[in-house]
Amino acid sequence: MKLFGVLQVVGSSLQAQRQRMNIIVSNMANVHTTRAEDGEPYRRKDLIFEVEEINPGDESLQGVRVAEVVKDNSPFKVIYDPSHPDADQNGYVKLPNVEVLEEMVNMLMTFRAYEASITSFNTTKNMFMKLLELGRS
Amino acid sequence: MSELKINAVNSTITSQNLHSADFAKSHSQDGFEVVLKEAMAKLVEIQSDTNNAIQELANGGDITQAVIALQKAEMAFQFMIEVRNRLISAYEEIQRMQV
Repeated sequence: MKLFGVLQVVGSSLQAQRQRMNIIVSNMANVHTTRAEDGEPYRRKDLIFEVEEINPGDESLQGVRVAEVVKDNSPFKVIYDPSHPDADQNGYVKLPNVEVLEEMVNMLMTFRAYEASITSFNTTKNMFMKLLELGRS
Repeated sequence: MSELKINAVNSTITSQNLHSADFAKSHSQDGFEVVLKEAMAKLVEIQSDTNNAIQELANGGDITQAVIALQKAEMAFQFMIEVRNRLISAYEEIQRMQV
């Protein structure tokens, strides 16, 4: 039924925001990880979203999905700590390019987007329920 | 006796419909029944989708899809209930008719 296309849009949005949340949590968990793949510190990751067609050709109803996970190529943070096992010859340690404050803000944004999706779903459902009341005496 | 009269009234109504309404050409006499059956089939389909989603959830599937499927089933069920209520009230209306 066409009515339920809205549910698919909301579902895709909730799923996408949850994946974004997973990425943010991973970033925050690895804020001090000095050993990731290829021997480098952990690189901050981000998600790219793209439009998901619900009904092909219907531009009024478009969901969202995760296109890809990208790595943030900004430079690592460097601190001086010669006692660290991963320090280089000069005593400098490279730490992940994750900013906890930035991740916190992203987390709040994700949460608000999730909340907004749920609110729009509830409103849609209320509209549907109101429709059923049409003509009821 | 009264049953006979109702039948007679029914047949005049249906024959009038057959003659006047355009949709009678495309739909058979049991058009409404077919529509109702299709709607019920759709409802059953939605409910089995929900079952599948919940089964998948039990096997480590995605909770969002399960919740969405549940909501979908709930809305379809409400819709079905509403159609049923309208049908019953129409039937009662006819029952109260003076013959």
